[in-house]
Amino acid sequence: MLARSAQGLYWMGRYLERTEHLCRLLRSQTAALVDRPIEEIHSGWNRIYNSMNRMPPVGGLELIDSDEFTLADSYTLTDDLTFERSNPDSVWSCLSYGRENARQMRHYISGEMWTHLNLSYLRMQEIDILSIWRSSPENFFSQTAAEMDTLVGIATATMYRDEGWHFMQLGRFIEGAQLANSLLLGQLRHEPNTRAVPEADWMALLRDYNAVETYNRRYGIEVHPDHVLDLIATDEYLPRSLCRSLDRAARELNALGPGPNEKSSAAAQRLSGRVRALIHYDWPDNDDHKRMLRQASDYCRQLHLLISETYFNYPVEALAAS
Amino acid sequence: MDFKSYDIHPDFYDEMFLNEENPREHYRQLYETLLEFSAEQMVGIQEQVTRSFYNEGISFTVYGDEEGTERIIPIDCVPRVVSSEDWAFLEKGLEQRLKALNRFLDDVYNDGHIIEDGVIPVDVVMECPQYRTEMRGFSPLHGTWVAICGTDLVRTNDGFRVLEDNLRVPSGVSYMVANRKAIKATMRRLYRSSRVEEVEHYGRILQQTLRELAPAGRSEPTMALLTPGVFNSAFYEHMFLAREIGAELVEGQDLIVNDGFVYMRTSKGLRRVDVIYRRVDDDFIDPLVFRPDSLLGVPGLLHAYQQGNVSLANSPGTGVADDKSVYAYVPDMIRYYLSEEPILSNVETYLCRRPTDLEYTLDNLQNLVVKRVGESGGYGMLIGPHSTAQERDEYADQVRANPADFISQPVLDLSRSPCLIDGTFEPRHVDLRPFILHGQETRIVPGAFCRVALKRGSLVVNSSQGGGGKDLWVLRG
Repeated sequence: MLARSAQGLYWMGRYLERTEHLCRLLRSQTAALVDRPIEEIHSGWNRIYNSMNRMPPVGGLELIDSDEFTLADSYTLTDDLTFERSNPDSVWSCLSYGRENARQMRHYISGEMWTHLNLSYLRMQEIDILSIWRSSPENFFSQTAAEMDTLVGIATATMYRDEGWHFMQLGRFIEGAQLANSLLLGQLRHEPNTRAVPEADWMALLRDYNAVETYNRRYGIEVHPDHVLDLIATDEYLPRSLCRSLDRAARELNALGPGPNEKSSAAAQRLSGRVRALIHYDWPDNDDHKRMLRQASDYCRQLHLLISETYFNYPVEALAAS
Repeated sequence: MDFKSYDIHPDFYDEMFLNEENPREHYRQLYETLLEFSAEQMVGIQEQVTRSFYNEGISFTVYGDEEGTERIIPIDCVPRVVSSEDWAFLEKGLEQRLKALNRFLDDVYNDGHIIEDGVIPVDVVMECPQYRTEMRGFSPLHGTWVAICGTDLVRTNDGFRVLEDNLRVPSGVSYMVANRKAIKATMRRLYRSSRVEEVEHYGRILQQTLRELAPAGRSEPTMALLTPGVFNSAFYEHMFLAREIGAELVEGQDLIVNDGFVYMRTSKGLRRVDVIYRRVDDDFIDPLVFRPDSLLGVPGLLHAYQQGNVSLANSPGTGVADDKSVYAYVPDMIRYYLSEEPILSNVETYLCRRPTDLEYTLDNLQNLVVKRVGESGGYGMLIGPHSTAQERDEYADQVRANPADFISQPVLDLSRSPCLIDGTFEPRHVDLRPFILHGQETRIVPGAFCRVALKRGSLVVNSSQGGGGKDLWVLRG
């Protein structure tokens, strides 16, 4: 397929995955506003902003022991992460970019996918922070996350399994891996060790990954930070775990086969193997998980660049000569 | 609903009504069904149709519009009906016209017999900015300069007339199909019993046409649709057509020319392209030959085309044949090349380059439509009866300064067709743009993009100027 279209589908996958991820984070964060203590809400916002590498509006978060203040603050932060047009990582921006890529690549995706995505986008144009705040912000985020999940379902049911499909999937899984990396790193950033992070944050992490039941079955009801970390980083069966995202990305890369740029193509394969080995084989024997996550994050960034060089932005001069 | 307040005016041919009491025979079924619908039902249908366009993102872009780039083309839900007899007549006339136009193009870029024989003045052709000297001495496969033609037709009390031929990159065909899909989904029983000719196979016919134009030895041609990109007003259509004909939707940056062959950058490397349905204007198609500042084109594309290694539809240079001055000579072309009388009439046209025509135009500005030769899409024209004295004065100065840039025509009494306006039926002016395809042979899908001037009294149907669309039903014979 056309290299530019392949790139468009790859980015569509990435943006829509990002949309879904952020909605899941905001769902549990806005639900926490109903009954959780102020410290927990505060640390929840920290966690989200850290993972996005973004400064909160009006210069940083302040912990003030007042319900009124916390709610007002949360309103501003939710708006910033959801509807803020100038925030390239807001739900609105990610969905718009994803939809824009889809609009330009409409002839590669199924009509059903396009209609579903366009309806989500149109719904998003008609609402603002005030309207979701008045009813239930967590319902809005649940619904939007569910719409993104449904989109994946529709794609699975209707999309032809050609290169376009694999590029879209590759984008999703690379993004999924990067998001898991960032979220876990954001969780650990300011803490000397995992124990210093409040238990509530680890619970929130499990909820964000739909992993509470799995965790309980495997480890019991006591929340042990290292177990949570292990589960989200290395569980092969948990959707969107770091490990699973990397495995799936490798599969898509294999399905696509070597690209026109043979050198970067082989390098991408090797790098994909290296990052998976890191999580599969090094992780269990190594305690410095923060370092390993940083390493994995670096690898993922490089992998993205290699994919781009291999399939999208390869030099044509040599090819034209042959 | 009823037509009690529907205004039938003797100056305008009414598409539906023969007279105050009676619908035309081919409209009877639609008329009777509309009588059975309640106003709520009709408004419901209208909303559903509009909503479906919105949800599907069937949109266009208005230049100079700053708020958002996507707009929905308004569609009116009352179809326009064309009888099978009328259609058969139009089909014959359109085929004849395109045949002559292709012959004309081959002639003016080669031997120039028509000029030599004094049928058309040399300056009308050679001074036309759309005449591309780069194309001299070239003749495309099957003599097909124009593979896709969209001809604008209007109907007056005197019958059908050709308003203009669009021989460069005519657009609107996606709306023909989209309007049909939307109306079919909402007026299901009526549609079934009305025996309407299909239009949704347009993509297949287009594909067949383009395949016939593939370079020799490329029996399974790779096709691409060249678009200026997502910001072009017709991007939706480009995407739609690429999908329909199984072509890659490419931009200039996706193509490269090497050793006279055209390749596209795919995720698997370079792949040769055989046929390009280009929706980029001549000026922008090849920066080496035409505008050097174009970022939309492909350097070397024209050379590859002239070597016969890639086909372009339409060929560069076709604009000379749909120039507003050259238009006046189309009936003569038909007589000259085909030795036939034109089946379809032109609109009477005054070429301001001729002193007598200039004088007539300036003396009668309030009764004429004056158009700039180089403009299209309803831009830069003066509609005499709807203009102020000051506007006319200013326009007259421009005409006097460059007479050759202007033509004038009598104001046409465009036919009117019922539209649903604020819950009642009101007449609105309409035209139609059928699409004529020509590879080795001519094919016409029985349908058209029907444009409506939705503003009361307005004669301007262009979608860039507040016009809308309607489904057009050609009845089976």
